[in-house]
Amino acid sequence: MSSYAQVRPEQRTPFARYRHSLWLLTQRDLRVRYSTSILGYFWSILDPLVMAGIYWFVFTQVFQRTVGNEPYIVFLLAALLPWMWFNGAISDCTRAFLREAKLIRSTRIPRTIWVNRLVLSKGIEFIAAVPVLILFAIFSGAEINPDVVFFPLAILIQAILTAGVGLIVAPLVVFFRDLERAVKLILRFLFYASPIIYGTSDLPEQLHFWAAFNPLSGIFSLYRAAFFPNELDWFVVAVSAVMSLAFLGIGLLVFSRTERAVLKEI
Amino acid sequence: MTDTVISLTGVGIRFRRNRRSRRSFKDLFAGSRRRTRSGEFWALQNVSFTVQRGEAIGVVGRNGQGKSTLLKLVTGVVLPDEGTVEVVEGVAPLIEITGGFVDDLTVRDNVYLTAGLHGMTRKQIDSRFDDIIEFAEIADFIDTPYKHLSSGMKVRIAFAVISRLEEPIILVDEVLAVGDKAFREKCYRRIEELLAGGRTLFFVSHNERDLRRFCARGLYLDKGELVLDAPIDEVLARYNEQYGIKPKTA
Repeated sequence: MSSYAQVRPEQRTPFARYRHSLWLLTQRDLRVRYSTSILGYFWSILDPLVMAGIYWFVFTQVFQRTVGNEPYIVFLLAALLPWMWFNGAISDCTRAFLREAKLIRSTRIPRTIWVNRLVLSKGIEFIAAVPVLILFAIFSGAEINPDVVFFPLAILIQAILTAGVGLIVAPLVVFFRDLERAVKLILRFLFYASPIIYGTSDLPEQLHFWAAFNPLSGIFSLYRAAFFPNELDWFVVAVSAVMSLAFLGIGLLVFSRTERAVLKEI
Repeated sequence: MTDTVISLTGVGIRFRRNRRSRRSFKDLFAGSRRRTRSGEFWALQNVSFTVQRGEAIGVVGRNGQGKSTLLKLVTGVVLPDEGTVEVVEGVAPLIEITGGFVDDLTVRDNVYLTAGLHGMTRKQIDSRFDDIIEFAEIADFIDTPYKHLSSGMKVRIAFAVISRLEEPIILVDEVLAVGDKAFREKCYRRIEELLAGGRTLFFVSHNERDLRRFCARGLYLDKGELVLDAPIDEVLARYNEQYGIKPKTA
């Protein structure tokens, strides 16, 4: 038998371990999802494509559209794809603990991983869907302008916001199961309350200021700036960055206060 | 090598008696106050002890007296409401061992996943992979989805992985009740090997023979309190005396 000195596994810093576990779980998610379906990757872009197709048809063929920019399909996808990330991650967060209860009871990896891995795997799917946006931009003749450099910034702010909201939602659902359905409802409301099928500038003048307090407004305007520079409004972006950080702060607080009770409950 | 690896001071944890008892936001965010709220009970209270490196400890007590909860506290998968739990070295928990395994992935993927989540690097797993498979005796099923294994095989592969984690502390919670006799004996031999290698063992069992086989020291839990912390023979004697079971003469 090996002696004591040999059996000590390689020591890693807590941060490296966290990253390693996060990556393993994300990989597992993606592998499970793609190994059990034939269309695999295609599913993650099919959903936003069908939705974009429907809205494009309704707003350009049925109604005479007065909102958004030309080409509308690019305008739509630039916000719809990130929305899918936010929507998917938050609705999965409602089951973050319940679905993985067995694993959480048997390993002691830091519990914020259960939220962050969802943000990460949905984020990876979002990035994998970006080429679709680029294809549409090319074929519909949208011009990419230098503001495209803000794309990574938008991803960063959105990741912070999504993680923050997830950290609030995930533990609370364990105690209040009703929240699972409430969250779904709120998300549906948020879809129309956020500038996805329209732009912030299409709102009535008196609502502009308040729309900024929906952190998704600023994020989507950053994404859209890559094709539509007039969508970029730094006031809105600044507010959403601050709001996102606030959400993350509150999320971490809620999470650390409820962690003890969550572990007993599951 | 007699440094303290586990130390619990005044540890207490309480659970709700039933799921439906009302819970409010205020409850949730109120820190861990000492007061017991209605509908809650202390599963463990005032538990203090330390464990030196290389000790083998058996936990004894009737059902529902907090044995498993104690192991979970040491593993760090539940957190105490009062007191502190300090564990300075890595833990290989043989508690709910099949928990990390995913039905849809193959045995190979599952081994890498579970060992990885417990902190092993890819290279370390590579070097032990054959060992693990050989120990679990499922060489023919490496690329079979985990869900198609028999329940015995599932436990075997899970035990093989966790016992290969090479962590300095091992926690065993009656998992070995499953599996056939030959495999159980193999697991026990593995635990003995690990003990000989200088590991610290925490063992929960109702089987007196197993307890005597592995453990030198015993902890006796009754009604959520640590009643006795003494050599295992003494602990077992007290346990039998209190619950009216005649000690076996054989």
